[in-house]
Amino acid sequence: MNRTDVTTALETALTTVLDRPVTGLEGETRLFDDLHLDSTTMLEMLMELEDSLGLEVDPEELEAEDFETVDTFTAFALAQLSNTQAA
Amino acid sequence: MPPSEVLHSLLDEAAAAHPEQLALSTTKDSWTYGDLAAASIGAAHQLRAAGVRRGDRVVITTPDPAAVAIALHAASRAGALFSVLHDQVRDHPLEHVLTDCEPTVMVTDDPGAAATAEVHGVRVLDPAALRRAAPTSEPLPEPLPVDGACLIYTSGTTSLPKAVVSTHQQMLFAARAIQSMLGYRADDVIYCPMPLSFDYGLYQLFLSFLAGARLHIGTVAEVGPPLLRSLESSGATVLASVPSVTDRLAWLVRRARSTPPLRLLTNTGAALDPGTVTALRAAIPTLSVQLMYGLTECKRTTIMPPDGDLDRPGSSGLALPGTEVFVVDDDGTRLPPGEVGEFVVRGPNVMAGYWRRPEQTAERFPRTGGLFPELRTGDYGWLDEDGYLYFSGRRDDLYKERGFRVSATEVESAARRVDGVIAAAVLAPGPRTANKAVLAVVTDLAPPDVLDNMRGLIEDYKIPQRCIPVEALPTNNNGKVDRHALADLINSPALATRKG
Repeated sequence: MNRTDVTTALETALTTVLDRPVTGLEGETRLFDDLHLDSTTMLEMLMELEDSLGLEVDPEELEAEDFETVDTFTAFALAQLSNTQAA
Repeated sequence: MPPSEVLHSLLDEAAAAHPEQLALSTTKDSWTYGDLAAASIGAAHQLRAAGVRRGDRVVITTPDPAAVAIALHAASRAGALFSVLHDQVRDHPLEHVLTDCEPTVMVTDDPGAAATAEVHGVRVLDPAALRRAAPTSEPLPEPLPVDGACLIYTSGTTSLPKAVVSTHQQMLFAARAIQSMLGYRADDVIYCPMPLSFDYGLYQLFLSFLAGARLHIGTVAEVGPPLLRSLESSGATVLASVPSVTDRLAWLVRRARSTPPLRLLTNTGAALDPGTVTALRAAIPTLSVQLMYGLTECKRTTIMPPDGDLDRPGSSGLALPGTEVFVVDDDGTRLPPGEVGEFVVRGPNVMAGYWRRPEQTAERFPRTGGLFPELRTGDYGWLDEDGYLYFSGRRDDLYKERGFRVSATEVESAARRVDGVIAAAVLAPGPRTANKAVLAVVTDLAPPDVLDNMRGLIEDYKIPQRCIPVEALPTNNNGKVDRHALADLINSPALATRKG
Protein backbone atom coordinates (compact mmCIF):
# COMPACT_ATOMS: atom_id res chain seq x y z
CA MET A 1 0.00 0.00 0.00
CA ASN A 2 1.46 3.36 -1.01
CA ARG A 3 0.43 7.01 -1.17
CA THR A 4 -1.23 6.64 -4.55
CA ASP A 5 -3.36 3.73 -3.32
CA VAL A 6 -4.46 5.72 -0.30
CA THR A 7 -5.20 8.82 -2.37
CA THR A 8 -7.25 6.79 -4.82
CA ALA A 9 -9.19 5.19 -1.96
CA LEU A 10 -9.68 8.66 -0.48
CA GLU A 11 -11.11 9.94 -3.77
CA THR A 12 -13.52 7.01 -3.91
CA ALA A 13 -14.55 7.52 -0.28
CA LEU A 14 -15.11 11.24 -0.79
CA THR A 15 -17.09 10.62 -3.97
CA THR A 16 -19.45 8.44 -1.92
CA VAL A 17 -19.63 10.71 1.11
CA LEU A 18 -20.06 13.97 -0.78
CA ASP A 19 -22.21 12.39 -3.49
CA ARG A 20 -20.25 14.07 -6.26
CA PRO A 21 -17.19 13.02 -8.26
CA VAL A 22 -13.94 13.80 -6.43
CA THR A 23 -10.79 13.25 -8.52
CA GLY A 24 -7.29 14.64 -8.94
CA LEU A 25 -6.71 15.41 -5.26
CA GLU A 26 -3.55 17.39 -4.61
CA GLY A 27 -1.48 16.97 -1.46
CA GLU A 28 -2.16 20.50 -0.28
CA THR A 29 -5.93 20.22 -0.77
CA ARG A 30 -7.54 21.15 2.56
CA LEU A 31 -10.27 18.81 3.68
CA PHE A 32 -12.46 21.43 5.39
CA ASP A 33 -11.83 24.61 3.40
CA ASP A 34 -11.37 23.21 -0.11
CA LEU A 35 -13.47 20.05 -0.09
CA HIS A 36 -16.11 21.47 2.26
CA LEU A 37 -16.10 18.43 4.52
CA ASP A 38 -17.54 18.98 7.97
CA SER A 39 -17.09 17.09 11.22
CA THR A 40 -19.84 14.63 10.24
CA THR A 41 -18.68 13.90 6.69
CA MET A 42 -15.13 13.59 8.00
CA LEU A 43 -16.17 10.62 10.11
CA GLU A 44 -18.16 9.15 7.23
CA MET A 45 -15.03 9.37 5.09
CA LEU A 46 -13.08 7.52 7.75
CA MET A 47 -15.73 4.81 7.93
CA GLU A 48 -15.61 4.37 4.14
CA LEU A 49 -11.83 3.95 4.32
CA GLU A 50 -12.13 1.39 7.08
CA ASP A 51 -14.17 -0.68 4.65
CA SER A 52 -12.09 -0.07 1.54
CA LEU A 53 -8.53 -0.08 2.92
CA GLY A 54 -9.02 -2.21 6.01
CA LEU A 55 -7.87 0.81 8.00
CA GLU A 56 -8.43 0.27 11.71
CA VAL A 57 -8.43 3.51 13.60
CA ASP A 58 -8.13 3.85 17.32
CA PRO A 59 -10.59 6.58 18.30
CA GLU A 60 -8.33 7.67 21.13
CA GLU A 61 -5.39 8.25 18.81
CA LEU A 62 -7.11 10.52 16.29
CA GLU A 63 -5.83 14.10 16.20
CA ALA A 64 -7.29 17.15 14.52
CA GLU A 65 -3.98 17.84 12.71
CA ASP A 66 -4.29 14.55 10.79
CA PHE A 67 -7.43 15.82 9.10
CA GLU A 68 -6.09 19.10 7.74
CA THR A 69 -4.97 18.28 4.20
CA VAL A 70 -4.84 15.34 1.83
CA ASP A 71 -1.12 15.02 2.67
CA THR A 72 -1.54 14.96 6.44
CA PHE A 73 -4.40 12.52 6.19
CA THR A 74 -2.57 10.22 3.78
CA ALA A 75 0.46 10.15 6.09
CA PHE A 76 -1.82 9.32 9.01
CA ALA A 77 -3.59 6.54 7.08
CA LEU A 78 -0.30 4.98 5.93
CA ALA A 79 1.04 5.03 9.50
CA GLN A 80 -2.15 3.38 10.79
CA LEU A 81 -2.01 0.76 8.03
CA SER A 82 1.58 -0.17 8.80
CA ASN A 83 0.71 -0.43 12.51
CA THR A 84 -2.16 -2.74 11.71
CA GLN A 85 0.06 -4.96 9.59
CA ALA A 86 2.80 -5.01 12.21
CA ALA A 87 0.38 -5.92 14.99
CA MET B 1 -29.22 48.26 45.31
CA PRO B 2 -31.06 45.57 43.29
CA PRO B 3 -28.96 43.00 41.46
CA SER B 4 -27.75 44.18 38.10
CA GLU B 5 -30.04 42.89 35.37
CA VAL B 6 -27.77 43.38 32.39
CA LEU B 7 -26.05 40.64 30.44
CA HIS B 8 -22.45 41.47 31.38
CA SER B 9 -23.36 41.30 35.09
CA LEU B 10 -23.05 37.49 34.79
CA LEU B 11 -19.39 37.85 33.87
CA ASP B 12 -18.80 40.58 36.46
CA GLU B 13 -20.38 38.56 39.26
CA ALA B 14 -18.32 35.48 38.38
CA ALA B 15 -15.16 37.60 38.09
CA ALA B 16 -15.80 39.14 41.51
CA ALA B 17 -16.41 35.74 43.11
CA HIS B 18 -13.48 33.82 41.58
CA PRO B 19 -11.23 35.95 39.40
CA GLU B 20 -8.53 33.27 39.07
CA GLN B 21 -10.88 30.53 37.89
CA LEU B 22 -10.73 29.64 34.20
CA ALA B 23 -13.78 30.88 32.32
CA LEU B 24 -13.07 29.98 28.72
CA SER B 25 -10.63 27.75 26.94
CA THR B 26 -9.74 26.38 23.52
CA THR B 27 -6.79 24.17 22.62
CA LYS B 28 -4.91 27.39 21.84
CA ASP B 29 -5.56 29.56 24.87
CA SER B 30 -7.50 30.07 28.08
CA TRP B 31 -8.90 33.01 30.01
CA THR B 32 -9.68 33.49 33.67
CA TYR B 33 -12.88 35.22 34.73
CA GLY B 34 -10.85 38.18 35.98
CA ASP B 35 -8.91 38.63 32.75
CA LEU B 36 -11.98 38.16 30.57
CA ALA B 37 -13.96 40.78 32.51
CA ALA B 38 -11.06 43.23 32.45
CA ALA B 39 -10.47 42.75 28.73
CA SER B 40 -14.15 43.31 27.97
CA ILE B 41 -14.08 46.62 29.86
CA GLY B 42 -11.08 47.77 27.85
CA ALA B 43 -12.77 46.59 24.66
CA ALA B 44 -15.95 48.49 25.59
CA HIS B 45 -13.92 51.69 25.69
CA GLN B 46 -12.49 50.82 22.27
CA LEU B 47 -16.00 50.39 20.92
CA ARG B 48 -16.97 53.79 22.41
CA ALA B 49 -13.90 55.35 20.84
CA ALA B 50 -14.94 53.84 17.50
CA GLY B 51 -18.27 55.64 17.78
CA VAL B 52 -20.50 52.91 19.26
CA ARG B 53 -23.34 54.40 21.31
CA ARG B 54 -26.35 52.94 23.17
CA GLY B 55 -28.69 51.15 20.81
CA ASP B 56 -26.06 50.81 18.05
CA ARG B 57 -25.22 47.43 16.57
CA VAL B 58 -21.89 45.60 16.67
CA VAL B 59 -21.38 42.63 14.35
CA ILE B 60 -18.79 40.09 15.44
CA THR B 61 -17.31 37.45 13.17
CA THR B 62 -14.10 35.68 14.07
CA PRO B 63 -13.20 32.03 14.68
CA ASP B 64 -11.53 33.06 17.98
CA PRO B 65 -14.03 32.30 20.79
CA ALA B 66 -12.23 34.49 23.36
CA ALA B 67 -12.38 37.47 21.02
CA VAL B 68 -16.11 36.81 20.51
CA ALA B 69 -16.69 36.63 24.28
CA ILE B 70 -14.73 39.84 24.88
CA ALA B 71 -16.38 41.71 22.02
CA LEU B 72 -19.94 40.74 22.92
CA HIS B 73 -19.48 41.70 26.56
CA ALA B 74 -17.87 44.94 25.42
CA ALA B 75 -20.93 45.66 23.26
CA SER B 76 -23.20 44.88 26.22
CA ARG B 77 -21.23 47.28 28.45
CA ALA B 78 -21.42 49.98 25.78
CA GLY B 79 -25.20 49.50 25.59
CA ALA B 80 -25.00 48.25 22.01
CA LEU B 81 -26.66 45.19 20.49
CA PHE B 82 -24.24 42.51 19.35
CA SER B 83 -24.69 39.95 16.61
CA VAL B 84 -22.27 37.05 16.34
CA LEU B 85 -22.05 35.64 12.83
CA HIS B 86 -20.65 32.30 11.76
CA ASP B 87 -17.36 32.79 9.94
CA GLN B 88 -18.96 31.29 6.83
CA VAL B 89 -21.34 34.26 6.63
CA ARG B 90 -19.65 36.19 3.83
CA ASP B 91 -20.44 37.81 0.51
CA HIS B 92 -24.20 38.02 -0.09
CA PRO B 93 -25.28 36.73 3.33
CA LEU B 94 -22.94 39.19 5.05
CA GLU B 95 -24.13 42.09 2.91
CA HIS B 96 -27.67 41.20 3.89
CA VAL B 97 -26.80 41.43 7.60
CA LEU B 98 -24.93 44.71 7.17
CA THR B 99 -27.82 46.27 5.26
CA ASP B 100 -30.37 44.87 7.67
CA CYS B 101 -28.90 45.90 11.02
CA GLU B 102 -26.61 48.77 9.91
CA PRO B 103 -23.89 48.16 12.47
CA THR B 104 -21.53 50.93 13.59
CA VAL B 105 -18.65 48.50 13.98
CA MET B 106 -17.78 45.05 12.75
CA VAL B 107 -15.23 43.01 14.68
CA THR B 108 -13.51 40.70 12.24
CA ASP B 109 -10.12 39.29 11.29
CA ASP B 110 -11.29 38.08 7.89
CA PRO B 111 -9.94 40.34 5.12
CA GLY B 112 -12.87 39.55 2.82
CA ALA B 113 -15.45 40.34 5.50
CA ALA B 114 -13.55 43.52 6.40
CA ALA B 115 -13.62 44.62 2.76
CA THR B 116 -17.38 44.01 2.60
CA ALA B 117 -17.83 46.03 5.80
CA GLU B 118 -15.84 48.95 4.40
CA VAL B 119 -17.96 49.02 1.25
CA HIS B 120 -20.98 49.38 3.54
CA GLY B 121 -19.37 52.17 5.53
CA VAL B 122 -18.95 49.99 8.62
CA ARG B 123 -15.85 50.56 10.73
CA VAL B 124 -13.74 47.42 11.23
CA LEU B 125 -12.02 46.54 14.49
CA ASP B 126 -9.43 43.80 14.76
CA PRO B 127 -10.36 41.17 17.37
CA ALA B 128 -6.67 40.86 18.34
CA ALA B 129 -6.65 44.54 19.32
CA LEU B 130 -9.84 44.08 21.37
CA ARG B 131 -8.24 41.17 23.20
CA ARG B 132 -5.31 43.37 24.20
CA ALA B 133 -7.41 46.37 25.22
CA ALA B 134 -6.36 47.79 28.58
CA PRO B 135 -9.19 48.44 31.01
CA THR B 136 -9.75 51.98 32.25
CA SER B 137 -11.75 53.13 35.25
CA GLU B 138 -13.70 55.64 33.19
CA PRO B 139 -17.40 54.84 33.71
CA LEU B 140 -19.51 53.45 30.87
CA PRO B 141 -23.17 54.33 30.35
CA GLU B 142 -25.07 51.33 31.73
CA PRO B 143 -27.88 49.94 29.52
CA LEU B 144 -31.31 49.24 30.96
CA PRO B 145 -32.48 45.64 31.47
CA VAL B 146 -35.21 46.30 28.88
CA ASP B 147 -32.72 47.48 26.25
CA GLY B 148 -31.84 45.27 23.30
CA ALA B 149 -28.71 43.21 23.92
CA CYS B 150 -28.43 40.78 21.06
CA LEU B 151 -29.49 40.05 17.49
CA ILE B 152 -29.44 36.43 16.40
CA TYR B 153 -29.81 35.93 12.66
CA THR B 154 -31.86 32.92 11.92
CA SER B 155 -33.45 31.38 8.89
CA GLY B 156 -37.16 31.88 8.60
CA THR B 157 -39.81 31.21 6.02
CA THR B 158 -38.54 34.13 3.99
CA SER B 159 -35.76 33.99 1.45
CA LEU B 160 -33.39 35.94 3.73
CA PRO B 161 -32.48 35.45 7.40
CA LYS B 162 -33.98 37.79 9.97
CA ALA B 163 -32.71 38.68 13.42
CA VAL B 164 -34.38 37.65 16.67
CA VAL B 165 -33.89 40.53 19.13
CA SER B 166 -33.37 39.77 22.82
CA THR B 167 -33.20 42.21 25.70
CA HIS B 168 -30.77 41.87 28.59
CA GLN B 169 -33.64 40.80 30.83
CA GLN B 170 -34.88 38.13 28.43
CA MET B 171 -31.43 36.63 27.99
CA LEU B 172 -30.75 36.61 31.73
CA PHE B 173 -34.08 34.98 32.47
CA ALA B 174 -33.53 32.28 29.84
CA ALA B 175 -29.98 31.56 31.02
CA ARG B 176 -31.00 31.30 34.69
CA ALA B 177 -34.04 29.14 33.93
CA ILE B 178 -31.94 26.75 31.84
CA GLN B 179 -29.20 26.59 34.47
CA SER B 180 -31.84 25.79 37.12
CA MET B 181 -32.74 22.69 35.09
CA LEU B 182 -29.22 21.63 34.07
CA GLY B 183 -27.32 22.46 37.24
CA TYR B 184 -23.85 23.06 35.80
CA ARG B 185 -21.31 23.07 38.66
CA ALA B 186 -18.29 25.23 39.46
CA ASP B 187 -15.96 22.26 38.89
CA ASP B 188 -17.50 21.38 35.52
CA VAL B 189 -15.78 21.75 32.20
CA ILE B 190 -18.50 22.30 29.62
CA TYR B 191 -17.42 21.10 26.19
CA CYS B 192 -19.18 22.98 23.42
CA PRO B 193 -18.75 21.55 19.91
CA MET B 194 -20.44 24.55 18.29
CA PRO B 195 -19.07 28.04 17.78
CA LEU B 196 -20.48 30.99 19.75
CA SER B 197 -22.28 32.16 16.60
CA PHE B 198 -24.93 29.54 17.34
CA ASP B 199 -27.29 30.62 20.08
CA TYR B 200 -26.70 27.17 21.56
CA GLY B 201 -22.99 27.92 21.84
CA LEU B 202 -23.57 31.51 22.92
CA TYR B 203 -25.77 30.52 25.85
CA GLN B 204 -23.23 27.92 27.00
CA LEU B 205 -21.09 30.93 27.84
CA PHE B 206 -23.76 32.41 30.12
CA LEU B 207 -24.64 29.03 31.66
CA SER B 208 -20.98 28.43 32.48
CA PHE B 209 -20.67 31.91 33.98
CA LEU B 210 -23.73 31.29 36.19
CA ALA B 211 -22.08 28.14 37.53
CA GLY B 212 -18.54 29.56 37.67
CA ALA B 213 -17.53 26.67 35.42
CA ARG B 214 -15.11 26.58 32.48
CA LEU B 215 -16.41 26.52 28.93
CA HIS B 216 -14.21 24.77 26.38
CA ILE B 217 -14.97 25.40 22.72
CA GLY B 218 -13.93 22.80 20.18
CA THR B 219 -13.15 23.56 16.54
CA VAL B 220 -14.93 21.82 13.71
CA ALA B 221 -11.82 19.64 13.21
CA GLU B 222 -11.54 18.75 16.90
CA VAL B 223 -15.14 17.60 17.19
CA GLY B 224 -14.95 15.36 14.13
CA PRO B 225 -13.21 11.98 14.34
CA PRO B 226 -10.88 13.20 17.16
CA LEU B 227 -13.86 13.99 19.42
CA LEU B 228 -12.94 11.46 22.13
CA ARG B 229 -9.43 12.75 22.42
CA SER B 230 -10.68 16.34 22.44
CA LEU B 231 -13.06 15.57 25.31
CA GLU B 232 -10.33 13.83 27.24
CA SER B 233 -7.65 16.48 26.82
CA SER B 234 -10.04 19.32 27.69
CA GLY B 235 -11.12 17.55 30.89
CA ALA B 236 -14.76 17.81 29.83
CA THR B 237 -17.43 16.72 32.32
CA VAL B 238 -20.41 18.04 30.35
CA LEU B 239 -20.99 17.80 26.61
CA ALA B 240 -23.45 20.35 25.21
CA SER B 241 -24.37 18.28 22.20
CA VAL B 242 -26.44 18.18 19.04
CA PRO B 243 -27.58 14.97 17.32
CA SER B 244 -24.70 14.74 14.83
CA VAL B 245 -22.13 15.04 17.62
CA THR B 246 -24.02 12.66 19.91
CA ASP B 247 -24.18 10.06 17.14
CA ARG B 248 -20.46 10.47 16.52
CA LEU B 249 -19.67 10.06 20.21
CA ALA B 250 -21.72 6.85 20.36
CA TRP B 251 -19.86 5.47 17.33
CA LEU B 252 -16.48 6.37 18.82
CA VAL B 253 -17.04 5.05 22.36
CA ARG B 254 -18.24 1.73 20.98
CA ARG B 255 -14.72 1.03 19.77
CA ALA B 256 -12.68 2.83 22.41
CA ARG B 257 -10.75 1.17 25.25
CA SER B 258 -11.52 3.88 27.76
CA THR B 259 -14.38 6.35 27.86
CA PRO B 260 -14.45 10.04 28.72
CA PRO B 261 -15.49 10.89 32.31
CA LEU B 262 -18.60 12.78 31.22
CA ARG B 263 -21.27 13.24 33.85
CA LEU B 264 -23.85 14.99 31.64
CA LEU B 265 -24.80 15.12 28.00
CA THR B 266 -27.40 17.62 26.91
CA ASN B 267 -28.89 17.43 23.47
CA THR B 268 -30.91 19.84 21.41
CA GLY B 269 -31.53 20.50 17.74
CA ALA B 270 -33.53 17.42 16.87
CA ALA B 271 -34.61 14.09 18.27
CA LEU B 272 -31.94 11.52 19.08
CA ASP B 273 -32.07 7.92 18.00
CA PRO B 274 -32.94 6.01 21.21
CA GLY B 275 -30.31 3.41 20.24
CA THR B 276 -27.64 6.11 20.35
CA VAL B 277 -28.59 7.12 23.89
CA THR B 278 -28.73 3.49 25.03
CA ALA B 279 -25.27 2.86 23.61
CA LEU B 280 -23.85 5.93 25.34
CA ARG B 281 -25.36 5.02 28.69
CA ALA B 282 -23.93 1.52 28.42
CA ALA B 283 -20.46 2.79 27.49
CA ILE B 284 -20.27 5.67 30.00
CA PRO B 285 -21.79 4.54 33.32
CA THR B 286 -21.38 8.00 34.90
CA LEU B 287 -23.44 9.67 32.19
CA SER B 288 -26.77 11.44 32.66
CA VAL B 289 -28.68 12.60 29.60
CA GLN B 290 -30.93 15.65 29.35
CA LEU B 291 -32.91 16.15 26.15
CA MET B 292 -34.12 19.61 25.27
CA TYR B 293 -36.17 21.45 22.70
CA GLY B 294 -36.42 25.09 21.75
CA LEU B 295 -36.09 27.76 19.13
CA THR B 296 -34.18 31.01 19.03
CA GLU B 297 -37.39 33.04 19.45
CA CYS B 298 -37.64 31.85 23.09
CA LYS B 299 -34.17 30.31 23.40
CA ARG B 300 -35.30 27.11 25.10
CA THR B 301 -38.83 25.77 25.44
CA THR B 302 -38.52 22.52 27.36
CA ILE B 303 -35.86 20.49 29.16
CA MET B 304 -36.08 16.90 30.33
CA PRO B 305 -35.08 16.15 33.92
CA PRO B 306 -31.89 14.03 33.99
CA ASP B 307 -32.56 10.66 32.31
CA GLY B 308 -36.28 11.45 32.09
CA ASP B 309 -36.22 9.98 28.59
CA LEU B 310 -36.06 6.52 30.17
CA ASP B 311 -39.54 7.00 31.66
CA ARG B 312 -41.01 9.07 28.84
CA PRO B 313 -39.37 8.01 25.61
CA GLY B 314 -39.89 10.49 22.78
CA SER B 315 -40.51 13.48 25.04
CA SER B 316 -38.39 16.65 25.12
CA GLY B 317 -39.32 17.49 28.70
CA LEU B 318 -41.12 20.20 30.64
CA ALA B 319 -41.46 23.94 30.07
CA LEU B 320 -38.72 26.04 31.68
CA PRO B 321 -39.57 27.04 35.27
CA GLY B 322 -41.59 30.26 35.21
CA THR B 323 -42.82 29.70 31.66
CA GLU B 324 -45.70 27.92 30.02
CA VAL B 325 -46.06 25.89 26.84
CA PHE B 326 -49.44 24.84 25.49
CA VAL B 327 -50.95 23.48 22.31
CA VAL B 328 -53.50 25.27 20.12
CA ASP B 329 -55.51 24.35 17.04
CA ASP B 330 -55.61 26.42 13.83
CA ASP B 331 -58.09 28.85 15.43
CA GLY B 332 -55.86 29.42 18.45
CA THR B 333 -58.07 27.41 20.83
CA ARG B 334 -56.18 25.53 23.53
CA LEU B 335 -56.18 21.76 23.05
CA PRO B 336 -56.31 19.12 25.81
CA PRO B 337 -53.40 16.71 26.51
CA GLY B 338 -52.78 14.18 23.79
CA GLU B 339 -54.06 16.30 20.93
CA VAL B 340 -51.67 17.52 18.26
CA GLY B 341 -51.47 21.23 17.47
CA GLU B 342 -49.08 24.15 17.42
CA PHE B 343 -46.93 24.87 20.47
CA VAL B 344 -47.37 28.32 22.00
CA VAL B 345 -44.92 29.63 24.59
CA ARG B 346 -45.54 32.28 27.26
CA GLY B 347 -43.04 33.63 29.72
CA PRO B 348 -40.08 35.95 30.18
CA ASN B 349 -38.09 33.76 27.76
CA VAL B 350 -40.21 34.93 24.82
CA MET B 351 -37.89 37.33 23.03
CA ALA B 352 -38.71 40.84 21.80
CA GLY B 353 -39.39 39.97 18.15
CA TYR B 354 -37.70 40.28 14.77
CA TRP B 355 -35.45 43.23 13.97
CA ARG B 356 -37.30 45.68 11.72
CA ARG B 357 -39.93 43.10 10.71
CA PRO B 358 -43.16 44.39 12.28
CA GLU B 359 -45.42 42.11 10.23
CA GLN B 360 -43.52 38.93 10.97
CA THR B 361 -43.17 39.97 14.61
CA ALA B 362 -46.93 40.49 14.88
CA GLU B 363 -47.53 37.10 13.29
CA ARG B 364 -45.13 35.08 15.46
CA PHE B 365 -45.23 37.17 18.64
CA PRO B 366 -48.93 38.10 18.85
CA ARG B 367 -50.29 39.85 21.95
CA THR B 368 -53.38 38.37 23.54
CA GLY B 369 -55.90 41.11 24.18
CA GLY B 370 -53.47 43.38 22.41
CA LEU B 371 -51.27 43.31 25.51
CA PHE B 372 -49.63 40.09 26.56
CA PRO B 373 -46.98 38.65 24.27
CA GLU B 374 -46.79 34.97 23.40
CA LEU B 375 -44.82 33.02 20.85
CA ARG B 376 -46.42 31.01 18.07
CA THR B 377 -43.60 28.56 17.52
CA GLY B 378 -44.65 27.08 14.19
CA ASP B 379 -43.71 23.73 15.74
CA TYR B 380 -46.26 20.97 16.12
CA GLY B 381 -46.80 18.22 18.65
CA TRP B 382 -48.63 17.41 21.86
CA LEU B 383 -48.34 17.43 25.64
CA ASP B 384 -49.09 14.53 27.97
CA GLU B 385 -51.21 14.80 31.14
CA ASP B 386 -48.17 15.94 33.14
CA GLY B 387 -47.13 18.63 30.67
CA TYR B 388 -44.28 16.73 29.00
CA LEU B 389 -43.81 17.87 25.43
CA TYR B 390 -43.67 15.60 22.40
CA PHE B 391 -42.43 17.24 19.20
CA SER B 392 -43.83 16.02 15.87
CA GLY B 393 -42.65 18.48 13.25
CA ARG B 394 -42.83 21.92 11.74
CA ARG B 395 -45.60 23.57 9.82
CA ASP B 396 -43.34 25.52 7.51
CA ASP B 397 -40.27 24.69 5.53
CA LEU B 398 -37.59 24.94 8.21
CA TYR B 399 -35.37 22.00 8.96
CA LYS B 400 -32.27 21.26 10.97
CA GLU B 401 -29.20 19.79 9.40
CA ARG B 402 -25.86 19.29 11.17
CA GLY B 403 -27.19 21.51 13.95
CA PHE B 404 -27.99 24.44 11.65
CA ARG B 405 -31.49 25.77 11.19
CA VAL B 406 -32.05 25.97 7.45
CA SER B 407 -34.94 27.38 5.44
CA ALA B 408 -35.84 25.44 2.30
CA THR B 409 -37.15 28.70 0.81
CA GLU B 410 -33.79 30.36 1.29
CA VAL B 411 -31.87 27.43 -0.24
CA GLU B 412 -34.26 27.24 -3.19
CA SER B 413 -34.01 30.95 -3.87
CA ALA B 414 -30.20 30.73 -3.86
CA ALA B 415 -30.29 27.76 -6.25
CA ARG B 416 -32.57 29.64 -8.63
CA ARG B 417 -30.10 32.52 -8.71
CA VAL B 418 -27.50 30.21 -10.25
CA ASP B 419 -27.29 30.85 -14.00
CA GLY B 420 -28.77 27.90 -15.85
CA VAL B 421 -31.04 26.70 -13.04
CA ILE B 422 -34.67 26.85 -14.16
CA ALA B 423 -36.36 25.53 -11.04
CA ALA B 424 -35.26 24.16 -7.68
CA ALA B 425 -36.84 22.47 -4.68
CA VAL B 426 -35.38 21.16 -1.45
CA LEU B 427 -36.43 18.01 0.35
CA ALA B 428 -35.76 18.33 4.07
CA PRO B 429 -33.73 15.58 5.77
CA GLY B 430 -35.94 12.63 6.61
CA PRO B 431 -36.41 8.90 6.18
CA ARG B 432 -36.90 9.22 2.42
CA THR B 433 -33.70 11.22 1.91
CA ALA B 434 -31.33 9.18 4.09
CA ASN B 435 -31.61 12.03 6.65
CA LYS B 436 -29.81 14.48 4.37
CA ALA B 437 -31.30 17.48 2.61
CA VAL B 438 -31.59 16.98 -1.15
CA LEU B 439 -31.71 19.72 -3.74
CA ALA B 440 -33.70 18.83 -6.87
CA VAL B 441 -33.01 21.11 -9.85
CA VAL B 442 -34.23 21.53 -13.38
CA THR B 443 -31.06 22.42 -15.26
CA ASP B 444 -28.55 21.42 -17.89
CA LEU B 445 -25.69 22.05 -15.48
CA ALA B 446 -23.87 19.20 -13.77
CA PRO B 447 -25.07 18.84 -10.16
CA PRO B 448 -21.65 19.63 -8.59
CA ASP B 449 -21.56 22.86 -10.62
CA VAL B 450 -24.95 23.89 -9.28
CA LEU B 451 -23.70 23.39 -5.72
CA ASP B 452 -20.40 25.15 -6.41
CA ASN B 453 -22.17 28.14 -7.94
CA MET B 454 -24.35 28.46 -4.85
CA ARG B 455 -21.28 29.22 -2.74
CA GLY B 456 -21.21 32.91 -1.94
CA LEU B 457 -24.98 33.18 -2.42
CA ILE B 458 -25.72 31.48 0.88
CA GLU B 459 -23.54 30.07 3.63
CA ASP B 460 -21.74 26.83 2.75
CA TYR B 461 -23.42 24.94 5.58
CA LYS B 462 -26.85 25.65 4.09
CA ILE B 463 -25.96 24.11 0.74
CA PRO B 464 -27.29 20.54 0.53
CA GLN B 465 -24.62 17.94 -0.15
CA ARG B 466 -26.81 16.12 -2.62
CA CYS B 467 -28.09 17.69 -5.81
CA ILE B 468 -30.25 15.71 -8.22
CA PRO B 469 -31.32 16.91 -11.68
CA VAL B 470 -34.95 16.24 -12.60
CA GLU B 471 -36.89 16.85 -15.82
CA ALA B 472 -39.50 18.92 -14.01
CA LEU B 473 -40.66 19.52 -10.45
CA PRO B 474 -43.93 17.72 -9.73
CA THR B 475 -46.63 20.14 -8.55
CA ASN B 476 -49.91 19.68 -6.72
CA ASN B 477 -53.29 21.25 -7.50
CA ASN B 478 -52.27 24.56 -5.92
CA GLY B 479 -49.29 24.81 -8.24
CA LYS B 480 -46.90 24.24 -5.34
CA VAL B 481 -44.11 21.70 -5.42
CA ASP B 482 -45.45 18.29 -4.41
CA ARG B 483 -42.69 17.12 -2.08
CA HIS B 484 -44.11 13.61 -1.70
CA ALA B 485 -44.12 13.13 -5.46
CA LEU B 486 -40.65 14.65 -5.63
CA ALA B 487 -39.39 12.17 -3.04
CA ASP B 488 -40.93 9.37 -5.13
CA LEU B 489 -39.19 10.75 -8.19
CA ILE B 490 -35.70 11.02 -6.68
CA ASN B 491 -36.04 7.55 -5.19
CA SER B 492 -37.15 6.02 -8.48
CA PRO B 493 -34.82 3.40 -9.99
CA ALA B 494 -34.80 5.20 -13.36
CA LEU B 495 -33.25 8.27 -11.83
CA ALA B 496 -30.83 6.23 -9.77
CA THR B 497 -29.36 4.63 -12.89
CA ARG B 498 -29.21 7.97 -14.66
CA LYS B 499 -27.32 9.41 -11.73
CA GLY B 500 -24.79 6.54 -11.69
